[in-house]
Amino acid sequence: MQLDGKIALVTGGSRGIGRACVVELARRGADVTFVYHSNSEAAESLVAELTSQGLKVQAEQADVRDGTRAQQIVDAIVEKHDRIDILVNSAGIVSDGLLGSMLPDQWASVIDTNLTGAFNYCRAVTQQMMYQRSGSVVNLSSTAAEFASRGQVNYAASKGGINGMTKGMAKELAPRKVRVNAVAPGMIETDMSAAVRNLAGDQIKKAIPMKRIGKPEEIATVVAFLAGDEATYMTGQVLLVDGGLSLGTY
Amino acid sequence: MPTKDEVFEKVQEALVEALGVDDDEVTPDATLVGDLGAESIDFLDIVFRLEKAFDIKIPRGELFPEDVWTNAEYVQDGKVTEAGLEELRRRMPFANLDEFAKNPVVQEFGNLLTVADMCRFVEGKVEVAD
Repeated sequence: MQLDGKIALVTGGSRGIGRACVVELARRGADVTFVYHSNSEAAESLVAELTSQGLKVQAEQADVRDGTRAQQIVDAIVEKHDRIDILVNSAGIVSDGLLGSMLPDQWASVIDTNLTGAFNYCRAVTQQMMYQRSGSVVNLSSTAAEFASRGQVNYAASKGGINGMTKGMAKELAPRKVRVNAVAPGMIETDMSAAVRNLAGDQIKKAIPMKRIGKPEEIATVVAFLAGDEATYMTGQVLLVDGGLSLGTY
Repeated sequence: MPTKDEVFEKVQEALVEALGVDDDEVTPDATLVGDLGAESIDFLDIVFRLEKAFDIKIPRGELFPEDVWTNAEYVQDGKVTEAGLEELRRRMPFANLDEFAKNPVVQEFGNLLTVADMCRFVEGKVEVAD
């Protein structure tokens, strides 16, 4: 399989797109550790499901905002396997509200989780991947980075930050053979997007040229492609995976 | 407990691997930036390799105190101030700053550190046999 023997770490792995990434990477042969924040039941269930299929999956509880914990988790993986090949930063939240009424805590929680959380894990793997002269980081962005919606200035800013961080990091690490890319999903069937989907109903499908909401698995396959050795000449890219949403409606 | 020669050999190996240079280029007098072509990001790599080679911890900024360059008290008009030089001497006892102090242009600083400085830095962190 394409990722046989690779050592991978996925944040936000117990649900949504992160969960699909854990499944996809493990099915392709990677030994996957995933980080979850609070849903231990979902995490344990995922580990049980995949290990029963003979796949290598472990879960670690952590708040991605905690940089010290990020380093501990990465160090433990390196201690065990002597390397880390793949990092997928998928942990993310929304806390929507119009700018005029958005509380500072809403701004901070989204930026701290989505952007600083990704930074914490990127930083934690950097020295080891540089040392190895190999590694692939995939950050989960969003089409919201470019096509921001009303009520999501915090989310759009966090994902715009992800794109900038991805490109800057890619440039720093390219000479050390470490690749860094991002995947920007459009509207995907996850708990996180449920509120928007419920509110907008079928209107949202009409705005998507492919006329349907994407599935987490359709993001995970692109993440796995970028993470693996099929994309060895790609770095600093943000791939939009959105059923054509970013093309506009006309 | 490594000897001074063993410290040099390990430092040499770390620099060869981090910078992709040949063994014979890594002489005690070679400067990291000027002679060996190190860039700022390479220092992160070098530090990590030294940590592994000698089983030591090197806090970020200890080998190369980058925060000095962003402190207005220590740098004015592109030159390191007297207070800045004092701070560098305090934090980098392993480096000979006398030549740099004659014309302390910040941009020239990276060209100052030599392989011998790196060895002295490591010798300050590990016990060295005579």
